[in-house]
Amino acid sequence: MLGLFGTLDLASRSLATQQEGTAVAGQNMANVNNPAYAREQTVVQISAPLQTTAGEEGTGADVVSITEVRDSLLDNQIQSENSATGSFTAQQSALQNAEAYLGEQITNTSGASAASAGGLAAKLSNLFDSFSSLTTGTGDPATAVQSAQEVATQFNQVSASLSQVRANLNTSIQNDVASSNQDLSQIAALNRQIVQAQAGGGTANDLVDQRQQTIENLAGMVNISTTAQPNGSVNISIGGVPMVTGNNAVDGLQTHDAGGGQLLLQDENSATPLSVTGGSIGGNITARDGPLAALQTSLNTLASQLILQVNNIYSAGYNPAGGHGQPFFTGTGAADIGLNRALVSDPSQFQASSTAGAGGDTQIALALANLATQSNPALGNQSLTQNYAQTVSTLGNAINTATDQLNTSQAISTTLTNQRSSESGVSIDEEMTNLMQFQKAYEASAQLVTTLNAMMETVINMKTA
Amino acid sequence: MRISSSLFTNNLLSQMNQLQGQQIQLQNQATTGLKVSLPEDDPAAMNQVLALQTQDAANTQYQSNITQLQSTATTAASAMNSLQTITEQAGEIATEAGGVNSSTQLANYATQVGSLIQEALQAANTQDAQGNYIFGGTINNQPPFAATTDSDGNVTAVAYKGNTNVSQCQIGPGQTVTAQVPGENTTGTGPAGLLADSRSGADLFRDLISLQQNLTSGNTSAIASTDSPNLTTDENNLVSGIAENGVLQSTLESAGTAATQLGNSLATQTSNLTSADLATTLTKLDQTQTAYQAAMQSGVMIMNLSILDFIQ
Repeated sequence: MLGLFGTLDLASRSLATQQEGTAVAGQNMANVNNPAYAREQTVVQISAPLQTTAGEEGTGADVVSITEVRDSLLDNQIQSENSATGSFTAQQSALQNAEAYLGEQITNTSGASAASAGGLAAKLSNLFDSFSSLTTGTGDPATAVQSAQEVATQFNQVSASLSQVRANLNTSIQNDVASSNQDLSQIAALNRQIVQAQAGGGTANDLVDQRQQTIENLAGMVNISTTAQPNGSVNISIGGVPMVTGNNAVDGLQTHDAGGGQLLLQDENSATPLSVTGGSIGGNITARDGPLAALQTSLNTLASQLILQVNNIYSAGYNPAGGHGQPFFTGTGAADIGLNRALVSDPSQFQASSTAGAGGDTQIALALANLATQSNPALGNQSLTQNYAQTVSTLGNAINTATDQLNTSQAISTTLTNQRSSESGVSIDEEMTNLMQFQKAYEASAQLVTTLNAMMETVINMKTA
Repeated sequence: MRISSSLFTNNLLSQMNQLQGQQIQLQNQATTGLKVSLPEDDPAAMNQVLALQTQDAANTQYQSNITQLQSTATTAASAMNSLQTITEQAGEIATEAGGVNSSTQLANYATQVGSLIQEALQAANTQDAQGNYIFGGTINNQPPFAATTDSDGNVTAVAYKGNTNVSQCQIGPGQTVTAQVPGENTTGTGPAGLLADSRSGADLFRDLISLQQNLTSGNTSAIASTDSPNLTTDENNLVSGIAENGVLQSTLESAGTAATQLGNSLATQTSNLTSADLATTLTKLDQTQTAYQAAMQSGVMIMNLSILDFIQ
């Protein structure tokens, strides 16, 4: 049998157990607002019983471990959804940037219908209307030259801005790659610490929380696959290439200039191209090489067709002094479209006539004005203005798609996070209740100690007298 | 389902965020009166609005063109009417000359015809408000009719310096007209010459000069047999020209009316696509604000409850 000293030992171990319980409750409450924290539970087991003639006699309870309540399946789902959210956020942001620089915004002007007055659509429209004005023989070529200059400037500005957006996305990708590599190293280091801690049969709850937070952060930047190992470490691979194996960050990410402003991802060791579709890196690449590139291409094609078609017609014309054969636009695309300098300094050189010496002939101006509605095979059988309007709405659609996908992803993320919070989150009510439980148990065990003390006093005092 | 402490607050925050976002959007709509502002708001509507604004701007340009052309056409009509009057007067003189024997009277008539020739030259060299000559075809920077005079100051010949080309101007979608008229057309094809045309046989200046010369020389039989019928041909030719001018003016007027109607229609279409219905917007804004208030109030009520308040 246990005896008095045995029972005293039981009582003191019980005190320790209840203390442990209150400490864990305290730890949980301290971390109630820590989003990365998973609540801990004490696992109390009865101590090894003593075999007596009267049967098994219990020897109290011990805290065998402090485990955290964590669902690794939920964790995986959340990390995967993080990649999706990161990607759509990046796409939406990049494309909204491009939309702002494109400058098409409908506003109300008093006395006129609502219109997008500051963008390329309005400026192209002004240009063709100024050509139309010239057909009456009373229009001013200076107005046409001015309108054309505005069109060219708008093309140049939008083109430069979109190139800047592209450059910014590339910088963002590089920054994210650097952060990702840091995260990978950190995960490897945490792996090592966790394996060490768990090797001795212990737990490493805080380190696991930290590692999970780092993994989710990494997933927000690039889509990863994780494999949990039996020894407690987590292996990470990106695009099928192992990045973290056990305690070591065996590989890393690097960027690679594939030409034409395309910055793509490779792994550091073997320069294998990595196809990244998730995370902010994936989102930036998708936006850059998809809708943004398409937008730049459309604008370039539009500009080059404008230059080509206008110059074709215009160079066949004659100006009042008999001059002939000069081009109207210079340049080849949206970035460098400009106006013939000679015409800008002297708009009266405008070649509006189809025959030499006939100042009242404005048929070149008429052909130029008709370009506005002429369908162009190089623009998918649309006119210049129709083609531009479609380019604008295509961008709008791309943004809407990204926004819808983002909203869906965020809703899923919220549901999963709520589930995890429900599972692993700290509830003050629960911890307070536990605290009270442990407190009462402590009081009871303390009372046992007092009782045993009194009993031992009695025993000792049996000798004297 | 187990509820953790952060679950409630996270939910509340996300709901309030959502409601805030809706409030901002609705308030924006109410202020600007627009439900479509950026391409992402409604890409299809944006596409249509861009097309409509282009059409509208073009329509305004057509209206401006029409006004310019109406001015030119009116100037031309006035000059043509003068020329018709001159031709009529010359015709009357030619008729009367047949019954006159007195050489003094004939000489008088010759002088009158000389004045008529000068008036006709002036009318034929009419300029528009910009100083362009209107009866030279597309050559408008010099007087289309140049006269050679003899030592007595009589016009012996009038040469046409213009051409027979005319320029089309836009007055509507796919619609063009010309307000230019060639003073003379001896090629046999193209627009009719106002004063001389080989198809009708008209040549006003030739006939006026011939009349003056015949009056001076007293050749009344030539006047009766050649000049009189020719002058009738000339007048008919002018009348054709005036009729065409009339057609031009009425075409311009209908085009102007059509443009006004088109402008109204485009404005309505644009408004339908872009305008936010204020009543609906304000109602939704009110609802959203109520929901926002409710979220805040209920949130605070629940957050204030804590087990700690009840533990002694």
